[in-house]
Amino acid sequence: MSSFKRDKKEEEDGGGNPFQNIEKTTVLQEARVFNDTTVNPRKCTHILTKLLYLLNQGEQLGTKEATDAFFAMTKLFQSRDVILRRMVYLGIKELSSIADDVIIVTSSLTKDMTGKEDLYRAAAIRALCSITDATMLQTIERYMKQAIVDRNSAVSSAALVSSLHLTKLAPEVVKRWVNEAQEAVNSDNIMVQYHALGLLYHIRKTDRLAVTKLVAKLTRISLKSPYAVCMLIRIAAKLLDEEDTGADSPLADFIESCLRHKSEMVVYEAAHAIVNLRRTTSRELAPAISVLQLFCGSPKPTLRFAAVRTLNQVAISHPAAVTACNLDLENLITDSNRSIATLAITTLLKTGAESSVDRLMKQIATFVSEISDEFKVVVVQAIRALALKFPRKHSVLMNFLSAMLRDEGGLEYKASIADTIITIIEDNPEAKEAGLAHLCEFIEDCEHTSLAVRILHLLGKEGPRTKQPSRCIRFIYNRVILENPTVRAAAVSAMAQFGATCPDLLENIQVLLARCQMDSDDEVRDRATYYSSILGQQDKGLYNNYILETLQVSIPALERSLKDYALNPGDSPFDMKSVPIAVIPTREEAEDKHKADGMIISSGPPKPPTVSREESFAEKLGHLPGVADLGPLFKSSEVVELTESETEYFVRCIKHCFTNHVVLQFDCLNTLSDQLLEDVRVQLDPSEGYTVLREIACPKLPYNETGSAYVVLQFPENDLPNSVGTFGAVLKFIVKDCDPNTGLPDTDEGYDDEYMLEDLEITLGDQIQKINKVNWGAAWDEAVATCVEMEDTYSLSSMSTLEEAVKNIVQFLGLQPAERTDKVPEGKTTHTLLLAGMFRGGIDILVRAKLALADGVTMQLTVRSTDGDVAELITSTVG
Amino acid sequence: MGLFSKFAFFLGVRKKEVNVLVVGLNNSGKSTVVNHFKNEEERVTEIVPTVGFSVEKFQNQNLAFTAFDMSGHGRYRDLWEHYYKDCHGIIFVVDSSDRLRLVVVKEELDLLLQHPDICNRKIPVLFFANKMDCKDALSSVKIAAGLGLDKIMDKPWHIAASNALTGEGLQEGVEWLTQQIRDVVLNKS
Ligand SMILES: Nc1nc2c(ncn2[C@@H]2O[C@H](COP(=O)(O)OP(=O)(O)O)[C@@H](O)[C@H]2O)c(=O)[nH]1
Ligand SMILES: [Mg+2]
Repeated sequence: MSSFKRDKKEEEDGGGNPFQNIEKTTVLQEARVFNDTTVNPRKCTHILTKLLYLLNQGEQLGTKEATDAFFAMTKLFQSRDVILRRMVYLGIKELSSIADDVIIVTSSLTKDMTGKEDLYRAAAIRALCSITDATMLQTIERYMKQAIVDRNSAVSSAALVSSLHLTKLAPEVVKRWVNEAQEAVNSDNIMVQYHALGLLYHIRKTDRLAVTKLVAKLTRISLKSPYAVCMLIRIAAKLLDEEDTGADSPLADFIESCLRHKSEMVVYEAAHAIVNLRRTTSRELAPAISVLQLFCGSPKPTLRFAAVRTLNQVAISHPAAVTACNLDLENLITDSNRSIATLAITTLLKTGAESSVDRLMKQIATFVSEISDEFKVVVVQAIRALALKFPRKHSVLMNFLSAMLRDEGGLEYKASIADTIITIIEDNPEAKEAGLAHLCEFIEDCEHTSLAVRILHLLGKEGPRTKQPSRCIRFIYNRVILENPTVRAAAVSAMAQFGATCPDLLENIQVLLARCQMDSDDEVRDRATYYSSILGQQDKGLYNNYILETLQVSIPALERSLKDYALNPGDSPFDMKSVPIAVIPTREEAEDKHKADGMIISSGPPKPPTVSREESFAEKLGHLPGVADLGPLFKSSEVVELTESETEYFVRCIKHCFTNHVVLQFDCLNTLSDQLLEDVRVQLDPSEGYTVLREIACPKLPYNETGSAYVVLQFPENDLPNSVGTFGAVLKFIVKDCDPNTGLPDTDEGYDDEYMLEDLEITLGDQIQKINKVNWGAAWDEAVATCVEMEDTYSLSSMSTLEEAVKNIVQFLGLQPAERTDKVPEGKTTHTLLLAGMFRGGIDILVRAKLALADGVTMQLTVRSTDGDVAELITSTVG
Repeated sequence: MGLFSKFAFFLGVRKKEVNVLVVGLNNSGKSTVVNHFKNEEERVTEIVPTVGFSVEKFQNQNLAFTAFDMSGHGRYRDLWEHYYKDCHGIIFVVDSSDRLRLVVVKEELDLLLQHPDICNRKIPVLFFANKMDCKDALSSVKIAAGLGLDKIMDKPWHIAASNALTGEGLQEGVEWLTQQIRDVVLNKS
């Protein structure tokens, strides 16, 4: 009876896993038997297995625990049991990073790696390299060199791969093994050849010329290992992407020739490389696509998957080329492997004609419930692309998306659907009403708080401008009744937007807000009270500033400023203007986020939110002498290169703008291995009106390291026009010649030297921060009362399209486009670009640029700013 | 020690296994000594400085020795103690031509003898006054005096002058150690 009970219990515990219930302390206790004079291999192997199991489950050992276990384990070297010895190697590798004094096993491992027992040798090398430190590496160098060229391929491979790992520890030492690696490249063994090439490349990869030579040499002989050839293709493709040579480079020929290799793996790698090369033209693409097309019909699912996945990627950059495979892709729609089918359909969606959209969407509908979330996201991405391509298809696509929304699915999947609907709404005014209606319905039973909050925010923004705003309000108010506090608070904010925008709804909104002031949650009540009292003022200006436009400051910066203020309040009230403004991500950054879309690559666990670029600069600059007194950092510019990238000293500059000062940060890289630089500083020849307050040198700059020197300048006082200027710059430093191997200077004596840098410009854009105006029109109207207006007309003769003009103006002024006016509708000859931003010192700027296309572009520029000088600066700098 | 293996030992079926620790300053000849004890076919032709330790096996009479040949380098001397607990005997090799470092040898020896895992055990210690062939080598008597061996009361000890390159003196020493381990360690357990 009792035994029956136990069986049952074991079953519940997860059945077969014998390590289910082991415990760290018990295992460590057991590990003491390793110290016994007579080793029992079976018993010790079992205990070691348990220890490794624990470590691999993520169990943490303290240093003392690990060291004790490690030293106990070293005694097992007296046993000649092969299995136990190999377990010891694994144990050494696991504990090598935690335990102290692990180099104690060096001699034991070198003995094994050079000994007669082949089963020990490769594993001993791997263990040895995990315990070695930079100082010990010299003593084992001889053995490593021998092992790399060992006749036993497992030994050679282990040595090569371990060397690759060791380059992190001591790159200079591993570099000396290049001859042995070279010899190993000629090995007959496919793995050895592959690993040798990997090491060779790694050793040389910072030296372009050496890599080019390596590739040139290896492409001429034919490597036996398909893995090595794949590697070579990747290296060649990287070189091709970096250089700007014409189409008939020998590297391109090599990759092309690999399309006819006898190994499928190589053929695929070559096709993949060609397809992804930036410079590939459609003519060069054709042979690669035909290879992929062939793979689509392969009986091997892996090949079909690889091919269709690659075609899916190309479909974005070269849709026409992929069209040739449409028939093959059609066949894959019914593939028993759902992943292949999904990729096939989404590829077809990207390349297909408008007429096939309905048919393909029906096809997807038949199995969308059977595929995993990950692939559903791929489908959603394809629909997003499709909607942007065929705006007229929005209703089919929107219906499909809303059906998907109602299905089961995780947050990521649901969020991608909502994102896509939002993109479609923003892109296509005709889809707006239907899209918002779908979202309204969706939040009725959306289980993801974060998503509901986002949608409510959008409804607040877009809903008031629909034909029947009151319809939305009903959905929003339902949330107030039914949801958790976070969602309720978001709903309150959304309703307030309607109150501020639609005068005839104001009364109803006030009634609803009054009810919300009875809410059980503080935040909800606070918001309702806040909005209700502002709306009660009946003042458009207040609505604009406190309801419609949200806070422009950086939230973490606000938090920090408030904390500082609370600790040290002083006499004056808290000044909102002293808080740095939130930085708007550039279009590239926003697009990068979507780049990986449609490619089934997991980006790993979500990373913790990183501080913004400005935040981290502010932190770093604050430690420099004198900079803390300059007030908050207003803006940091993009990086400007002041030297060519492959010169002796590589210098880049970032301009940090403060209210009345600018701090120039010069990041210098020393690329000379025989020089140690000291007291590195930049001498400026500033333009009129600027004063240099302070130069901060970088005390020491060894080879291959980047250090920063700074110059603090004051902007010209009461002289805005001169704040835009060009500075001459010279890098000055003391050189100490040194031994390239050790990096130690030959003598203590150095000599002065200098290096001319390119001129540095302080531009208008450096002094302006982008501001996102949700309701630009309201702000513009309101500005009549508070701002100075300047207007001028320009002829932009060098520009031939409106798009080009828009792009240039936005970039030049450093302002943020509002109301999506940076997108020029197709076929128009006139366009109005609306911009907003802030000049250093908290001066608001609104700009309207009316553009007309006729023999170049004509522009009428109207600037409204709280400061007349700033407005003038803008109109004069543009001219 | 299980009953069966003890039986097996007395019946001569299985050799008794013992652990010895080989210590001493670096370059004193420890690895060369241990190498000499091994079977002809297992010996290595080239001795390189030991890094950490190395486990070697050899036999003498009916005993199977497992020797932990420790590195004598400064960086590793502190790690010897990890191996004190379970050894049955100690071989302490001294370079008798290295007069300069004899004080260091004494220091290390004293630390060893005072260590909690050693001091209360009646564990035999064999000294090799090695490199006796060198012309300025001290005699074993002088070494014994220099190290103050006469003060070791609670442990059997023995000193033998040796030349590890030729093997001279080694056998005599290890015979003594084998006898001691049999008497002191095995008969007691
Ligand atoms: N002349 C002489 N040289 C020896 C003797 N024993 C060892 N050596 C040499 O001393 C050096 C160090 O020996 P080794 O065994 O590595 O010393 P360990 O560091 O104590 O292990 C080697 O070059 C040996 O050849 C000896 O008895 N006489
Ligand atoms: Mg040695």
